[in-house]
Order: sequence, then C-alpha cells, then structure tokens
Amino acid sequence: MTRTGFVHQALCYGSDDEFLEGTLEFARDGLAAGDAVLAVVKNHNIALLEQALGSRSGDVQFVDADDWYGYPSRTLGQYHAYCADHGGDRRVRVIGEPVWAGRTDFEAREWMRYESLLNVAFAHSAHWILCPYDTRTLPADVLRTATRTHPELALGARISAPSGRYADPADFYAECDAALPADPLPEGCDDCDDIRFARGRSAAVRGALAAYARRSGMPEQRTHDMVAAVHEVLVNAVRFGGGGGVLRLRRDPDYVICEVADGGARNWAMPARFPGHLPPDARAVGGHGMWVVRQLSDLVAEDLGPTGSTVRMYFRRPGEFIRPPAV
Amino acid sequence: MEAVPALRAVGQMRPGDHLLLGYDTDEERETVLAAFLLDGLASGQRGLVLTPGDIPAGLALSFLEAYGCPVDEEVAVGRLAVDPQLATPEGLWDLDEVIRREARRAVADGFLGLRVSMEVLCGRAGKSLKTLHDSELLLDPVFASLPVLGVCQYDRRVFDEEELIPLDVLHHGRVAADLVWHDELLSITRTFAPPGLALAGEIDDTNVTAVARALHAETARARGRTANGVRTRLDLRDLRFVDVGALRLLVFSALGLYAAGGTLVLHGVAPHVQRVMRVTGWDRVPGLRIEQGDREARGEPPP
Repeated sequence: MTRTGFVHQALCYGSDDEFLEGTLEFARDGLAAGDAVLAVVKNHNIALLEQALGSRSGDVQFVDADDWYGYPSRTLGQYHAYCADHGGDRRVRVIGEPVWAGRTDFEAREWMRYESLLNVAFAHSAHWILCPYDTRTLPADVLRTATRTHPELALGARISAPSGRYADPADFYAECDAALPADPLPEGCDDCDDIRFARGRSAAVRGALAAYARRSGMPEQRTHDMVAAVHEVLVNAVRFGGGGGVLRLRRDPDYVICEVADGGARNWAMPARFPGHLPPDARAVGGHGMWVVRQLSDLVAEDLGPTGSTVRMYFRRPGEFIRPPAV
Repeated sequence: MEAVPALRAVGQMRPGDHLLLGYDTDEERETVLAAFLLDGLASGQRGLVLTPGDIPAGLALSFLEAYGCPVDEEVAVGRLAVDPQLATPEGLWDLDEVIRREARRAVADGFLGLRVSMEVLCGRAGKSLKTLHDSELLLDPVFASLPVLGVCQYDRRVFDEEELIPLDVLHHGRVAADLVWHDELLSITRTFAPPGLALAGEIDDTNVTAVARALHAETARARGRTANGVRTRLDLRDLRFVDVGALRLLVFSALGLYAAGGTLVLHGVAPHVQRVMRVTGWDRVPGLRIEQGDREARGEPPP
C-alpha cells in the first residue's frame, strides 16, 4: 500500500495474531518500497516479527521499547535523529509501541501528549508511524486516548479508517495542561532550596544548583545537564518574565525537581506553540533554548502567562528504576 | 605533566621586573614585545632592544609599524633604540654592565626609566649554558636597583623546555601576551602555536559580547595570515560552561566563515557541551569543526 505525506496510526491488538496481522504487511510493504523500517516494540513482539519476517528480518532495525521510550521529549529527539540519519529522501516506517506500564499519572499524561505532538513534529515529513496498543494489558483511558492522538486506526493488514475522535494537537496539549494537578511544591522542608535570581546573576545560581544536585546524589553528567537546562529557563525568565524570579529546588524519592517561577512582564510575548517540543532548524535564530531544556530534562511541565510563568523540570535520581511488570 | 611556570601578562609588568619570554612563533614574540615597548613609550620610558645581529634599528623594529608606531620618528628622538650588543663576542658577559649603564643614561636623558628586551641566541649561549646562566645571575641586582624592566626572549623552537626551566629561577617569572578579556567568570587569551584563542571559565549572557568581540578580532587576524581558507581556532579545554546563546554565536560565526571558505575549529570541547551541540544539530553545521581533546593534539592515537 502506498501513501503520501505523514501517516500516524494506532493499532489496537488483543493477541499475537492481531499484532502480526497489523504489523507484518506494514513492514514487508516498507521493505519492498525501499523504506527504512524501524520496529521499536516489546521484546515479545520483536521475537514474533523477526520470526514472521524470516530472512528479511535482518533488513528491519529492531529496538526494545524499554530502551527507547525513556522520556517523551528525548524519545522525540531520538526519532528526529533517526529519521535524519536514515531518512533523507526515503520514507521511514516506524512501528512504535510506547511503554505505559509503571508510569505515574503525570508521566502517562506526558506520553499521551507526546503521541499527539508526533502529528505536529512530523507533519511535513512523509514518514509513517504505526503505534501498537495491547488491549490485553493497557488501561482503558490509555486506549481511549489513543483514538484522540492518532488521526487513523489500523484495522488489520493494509486496512485503516479515520479515528473519528482525533483531537487537534493544540487542543489536546491544552487539555493535558489542564489535567496536570496544580500541586505547589512543598515549602520550607529540609531538602528545599529557594534561590532568588535577577539579571546578570545566573552564575551564582548555577553554582548553588550544582551543589544541590551533588547533595542529591546526581551523577556528574546529569549535574551538567541540570545546570544547562535550568540556566536556559533562567535566561528566559530574565528576558521575558520581568528580569528575575525564584528557582525552587526540591527532591522526592524519584526526582530532583527544579522550578523556575517569574513574576511576568507587561510586554510579554506569546511563546511559540508547543514550546521546545519541535526541534528548531540548526540555523534558526531562536527556539533552541527550550528544545535543549526538554532534551536535557527528564520531564518538563510549564505554565506560561503574562502575569507569571512557571517551568518545572524533573531529573530522575540515580538508583535502579524498576518498572512494575505489565499486568 | 610538566610544571607550568606562573605567567604574567606583559601589561602587568612594573619596574624591577625581569621576566622570561619563551615563545613559539614570531607572531607571539612580536605581540609581547610590541606591548612591552609601546607600554614603555606611553609611560615615558625609553625602549631598548638588544639584538644578536647588526641590523638597522628601523628594520629591527619594523613590526611595530603594524601597531601604529612611527618607528623611524621614535628612533630619531631616542625614545626607541636598538643595540647589537648581543652580536658581540662578549655580548652576554658584560650584559649587566650594559643595562646598568643604559638605565642610568635613560634617566639622565630625561626618561622615567628603561625597558630592555634581549633576544638570547642559543649559539651565543656558549657550549654549555653556563655563561648564559652567569650573565642572567648578574642581571638581577641591576633590575633590583634601577628603574628598569626587562624581557629575556628565548625561542622555544631553539631552546628545549628542559633548558629553560633552570633559567626560570634567574627571572621573576615568565611573561605572556596580554589577556584579551578577563572577568570573574571568563578569561580569553591568545594562543600562538597553533594560533587562536583559549577560553577558560564560563560563558553566559553576561559575557557573550566579550566572546563575540574577541572572535571577531581573531577572525580578522586569521584573515591577515591567510588570504583564503581562514581557520579560526578556539581552545575550549578549560571552558566549564557555555550556554545556548553563546553556542549559537559560535555556530553563526562558523556559518559566516564557511560562506567565505573558512572554518571555525573548536578544540577540546567538554562532553557535556558536545551533548548540547548534538541535540541542537550544531555538531553538524558546515564550517564548524569539533576537534577532540589532548591526545589528538599531541598526535597520539585515540584510546
């Protein structure tokens, strides 16, 4: 089957056979057409596809989904890098099975946002992304949301239909923002550090932040990432948020959380849509700051407005992250 | 690791100083010497250059013209002088006497002091370095007692570092070109072998303009060295932090150089900075070359 333009489909499957029915011809068609074919799926599904493809399985690149779906923005960056390296003039076909098990509500919401943002990020490409959803294990709200983040549903071999419930990514993005609990960071705890900042004083903040990161047991590389990401948000707060604000540092068992809050500015300019979610052209004059923030952080939540903006960055603390087994 | 002697910027020299300049290129020698002599003229001191060859003063000092100095005029009024003292067989041996005499004469002639530069030739240093050692030893009391400051120049293409180290104790330290920029976060210095700039510390929104200015000037100098294929080289080994705005400046500078057939070479970029450049796609911008660290520079194979 040939298509033009970007295609993004959800494939809901309830058995090995249904998984294969939906993905096998997709992969074969891609190889026949000379497309780059990447399958980022559960280990079990890698085995199924490899076996079904037989001698042609070597032409498909397989990646364990657990290794690929780390954090939404970084995964988006990885897909961009992959398509830049392997695409060129070629179409890239992706079988991409996001990992939902073991996610907190916040994390799951960000992965739903990610699915929706794929429609924007690759809108001008000719790539084709097929996202399998296992109806046996996934919660109902994840399955329901898949129909809102994918314009089309795959219904077996070479058959698809419009989802009918597809939501515009901008609307969905706002919906995700609204669904985020507005829980303020705890005040005055032992592990807290509140650092006021102002124009031209970011070096002192970087020093205090690095010290906090080390106290929290962050490895050296992640400390560098934190400093770089938080600095970019500080620079934005100084430039667009009235010249200063406060950096709040917190830690919970999972994350070190860095929140930058400013007091807003009268000459506030609307930020770009989906700030930092879409990779800017290397030669673009702006837009790199928030992209870097999202690539270097694990999760980012932002609330931007003329009377004040808040950007919260999450950095997972070291220690083995054990994903609960799928039910 | 070799011990690196403390370096003093030529602009920070003061009377009584007797410093050693170990230079790798003529450009480095001329940069330091020009600052040394022009600072002297500005301070009402006489500049005296002791050369190991008998060449006319105007020719020996012609490099100062590029710094806006009217050399012939200054020589005619006695503010600059060249003496082939070091070309004579006893040049090194009575060097202390010569400088004592010249310092007194400068004061008698109405100058506030004397700045003297000496180019030490390996051949004149004798079979062993003993003569050189002794003459340097005799110089120190002169600098301690008269309004004179001096730079002893050693060409590192001729003298090994092993030969220079014992001479360090005979001087008050080593001298280097002036810093291009220095603030509480960042210092920018010129490098000469290979030519470029070394950036140490942190670059953020407070000092990115200083980097822009230094980069602009360095590119103009690089253009002076080669008509086409300009290579501007930045040594970033001691750069701990650089923000996205500053990296963007480097990228746009590289694109500008590329449009003119040139390259911006970044040497010793830290892994965490390379990471940012990778996610922004800035590691693949035409005109920007990211060189690996010390090993490559020393011609060693990667680990």
